Amino acid sequence: MEQALTRNFCIIAHIDHGKSTLADRLIELTGTMRRDEISEQMMDSMDLERERGITIKAKAIRLHYKADNGQTYRLNLVDTPGHVDFSYEVSRTLVACDGAVLVIDATQGIQAQTLANTYLAMEHNLEVIPVINKIDLPGSEPERVLAEIGSVLGYKEQDILLLSAKTGQGVPTLLEEIVRRIPPPKGDAQRPLRALIFDSRYDAYKGVIAYLRVVDGRISKEDGLRLMGQGTEIEVLEVGYFAPEPCPAPELTAGDVGYIATGLKSVEECHVGDTVTSIHGGATEPLIGYHPPKPMVFAGIYPTQAEDFNELREAIEKLNLNDASLSYEPESSPILGYGFRCGFLGLLHLDIVRERLEREFYLSLVVTVPGVSFIITKTSGQQLTVTNPNQFPEPTEIEKIEEPWVKISVITPSSFIGALMELLMQSDGAYKQTEYLGQYQAGGKLGQRVRLEYEMPLRCMLTTFYDQMKSRSRGYASLDYELIGFREAELIKLDVLVNDLPVDAFSRIITPEKAHEVGKAMVAKLKEVIPRQLFKVPIQAAVGSRIVARADIAAKRKDVLAKCYGGDITRKRKLLEKQKEGKKKMKFIGRVEVPKEAFLDVLKLG
Amino acid sequence: MLLVKYVGDLISTISSLFTVDEAAEITIEANPGTINRAYLTAIRELGVNRLSLGVQSLNDRELALLGRIHTAAEARDAVQHARGSGVDNISIDLIYGLPGQTLSDWQQTLDEAITMRPEHLSLYSLTLEAETPMWRAIKAGYLPELDPDMSADHYELAEDLLAAQGYSHYEISNWAMAGRECRHNLTYWRNMPYLGVGIAAHSCLGGHRLANTKSLDKYVDGFSGEALPVPELDEEINPELELAETVILGLRLGEGIDLDGIHRRFGIDILVHYRPQVEEMVDAGLLEQADGHVKLTRHGRLLSNEVFWRFLPG
Repeated sequence: MEQALTRNFCIIAHIDHGKSTLADRLIELTGTMRRDEISEQMMDSMDLERERGITIKAKAIRLHYKADNGQTYRLNLVDTPGHVDFSYEVSRTLVACDGAVLVIDATQGIQAQTLANTYLAMEHNLEVIPVINKIDLPGSEPERVLAEIGSVLGYKEQDILLLSAKTGQGVPTLLEEIVRRIPPPKGDAQRPLRALIFDSRYDAYKGVIAYLRVVDGRISKEDGLRLMGQGTEIEVLEVGYFAPEPCPAPELTAGDVGYIATGLKSVEECHVGDTVTSIHGGATEPLIGYHPPKPMVFAGIYPTQAEDFNELREAIEKLNLNDASLSYEPESSPILGYGFRCGFLGLLHLDIVRERLEREFYLSLVVTVPGVSFIITKTSGQQLTVTNPNQFPEPTEIEKIEEPWVKISVITPSSFIGALMELLMQSDGAYKQTEYLGQYQAGGKLGQRVRLEYEMPLRCMLTTFYDQMKSRSRGYASLDYELIGFREAELIKLDVLVNDLPVDAFSRIITPEKAHEVGKAMVAKLKEVIPRQLFKVPIQAAVGSRIVARADIAAKRKDVLAKCYGGDITRKRKLLEKQKEGKKKMKFIGRVEVPKEAFLDVLKLG
Repeated sequence: MLLVKYVGDLISTISSLFTVDEAAEITIEANPGTINRAYLTAIRELGVNRLSLGVQSLNDRELALLGRIHTAAEARDAVQHARGSGVDNISIDLIYGLPGQTLSDWQQTLDEAITMRPEHLSLYSLTLEAETPMWRAIKAGYLPELDPDMSADHYELAEDLLAAQGYSHYEISNWAMAGRECRHNLTYWRNMPYLGVGIAAHSCLGGHRLANTKSLDKYVDGFSGEALPVPELDEEINPELELAETVILGLRLGEGIDLDGIHRRFGIDILVHYRPQVEEMVDAGLLEQADGHVKLTRHGRLLSNEVFWRFLPG
């Protein structure tokens, strides 16, 4: 087919603004599938995606559309992940497209990720078609949202479409506009092959399936190919496209979006963002700079039952087959036993991995407090990346600590500004700017919509920030953030010693001025949850050798059954048996018996 | 109270079926306020030679808190009646560790009890059972929580006061003047066989621990000719469990467990068989070894559960 009749585009939107429903409608209206064949939200195939309303892995579907001008067009719809944790994947997806349909909810207007995605699309020079969705809903305010899109994003009213993905109203116009406004792909089928991998997944029969956009050249079955960034060499086992079922095809040529089956055993060998070329007579320049995904958030994952460790390992290995951005290495803790230190793209990624492990593999897990990675320069000049507080060098050996910072953007009704600014300040946020986006309908009590921009350490966003933001704004505020690099930080490691023994899992990296407060809280919590022992147990919080908080658990004095006569013996023995069983479940910190629940309570302490 | 006539029936029935030692200990338990001098004189003449009185406290506020129907004055009267009717072996039960009970509250009750010179005292720390009125009152905040440290103070005070008055602390919760240890209860703590007859009675015979039904109707219906009703509960005590129970019960005694006695009965040397447990508990200061016995220390008596569970099999 002629390159001139191809359109490659994606749909971008804030969570729940209707991206997947719109994709379903496009599939239906182009006759690719009948409505009754479409399981709701076709492009989200994981249960979790459908439930959470987010798309975790991008996919692509080829649609054939007969336009009003009589020509039949090939529309390649590339789905994008909807969350900032996957912004690297989003940006790779955008490279595969020439245009984007920007979906905005008519009841909600512009949200934080609307902006983030739009800016990303603009950066990639995509032709953006803004659409206001859900105009069939009673609470929709298309006029207000039109004005907001005009003032905030700068699109003209006549270029913005109104539609309802649910009813299909306005969707035919959108199809015409896609053909009219989005340019056909550039690129040259005669030049050496260059194709961009924008997604991959593992298939038990065909090995890794790479989703790609061919920019120059062509790919056929049995071609010998090379990944320019990673150097992996592959033989193409199958070429095809999705409609939406995989359809093998003789070849993919410049401008096409489709897949190749590689036979590779792991997605590790086939990273998103890499450029594919021919082994012989290939291109010399990759399409874009390639860098492997970099985990930003780290946490320990342990099985609740020690004997489930092997199952956990197998489950993580399986997830990793499809999720190259998940990193893991074995770790052990005196109380939690054996587990893994895992790295994630962000908090949502962590949540998704945890939920998939629990739901798809039926595991019961303990997840430790998430942390970030630090770059530490030692006085010796040596530089290390530390993802676990336990790897922190002694304070005297540290020359400099750097930690990741994010730019965060919060969109909120103006009535919550005060509460949110307070939260941002408490979270060490640095104020950047305030932007007014427009009025709510009927000048409601909520006031204007405002965008707050702050910069803050990623560390400060990890535990309770999101929940706090939601509760302080009664659920109205939306959040987006992006990494802006590493900055020097003044941080210390706070250790907790139980009976003079430091407990690795309790160590925290915090600012010096919080040492006393956090130390006191942890010591108090431990005193509350550790049962009294046969001896006095000191609990201390320390920075290096300096004790910042201390509490003693007094020795237990009384544990006695007052009465034991002829009729009681069996019952009393059973009480003792219960006590013995309870002891077996105890974990030990040195000589101190600690119930596991107590340990978890302290880990949960934000 | 059981009518005098029935006390007489019981004793004569037992005497017709068994040979009763002339010096046998025959105890009746009674609550103050339910007995008078005539009753006590009558049952004493029938052979009852020991009275165990559920005094609990000599403080009216505490008695009310415990839901007792008697007053401190009635408790004092009961002891006087018993003495007056010639009972020369009286045991008094007291409870300590009540919510809000101070050390001096406890000392007052204890001091007064000692002036009555009972031959025997049983002192029990209050155990809070779930869903009782006191448990609910504490949950609801009407009463203070139980304070285990205060209760331990009460216990230690009693140990000191009673020792000074010549009472021997012969079991975790029991004190007696020389030769007045409760012979009946010693059978339990030495893990020797016993036979219980009647509803809710327990027996330990031939490697089995047995309990009769608590329902009078069921018990009466259970007789078949001469045969006694089949016990509702029948637990087999295997030799391993018997050994563990013998150790645990024996450790309740002031003298502790007699190493030779255990060796004769089970063919086992405790110091070898339970070596890790004994060593750990001696190191922790909860057990001590002396004169061929292993026993709880003063510290260990209050923490005896920590010692006992370690001796359970498995």
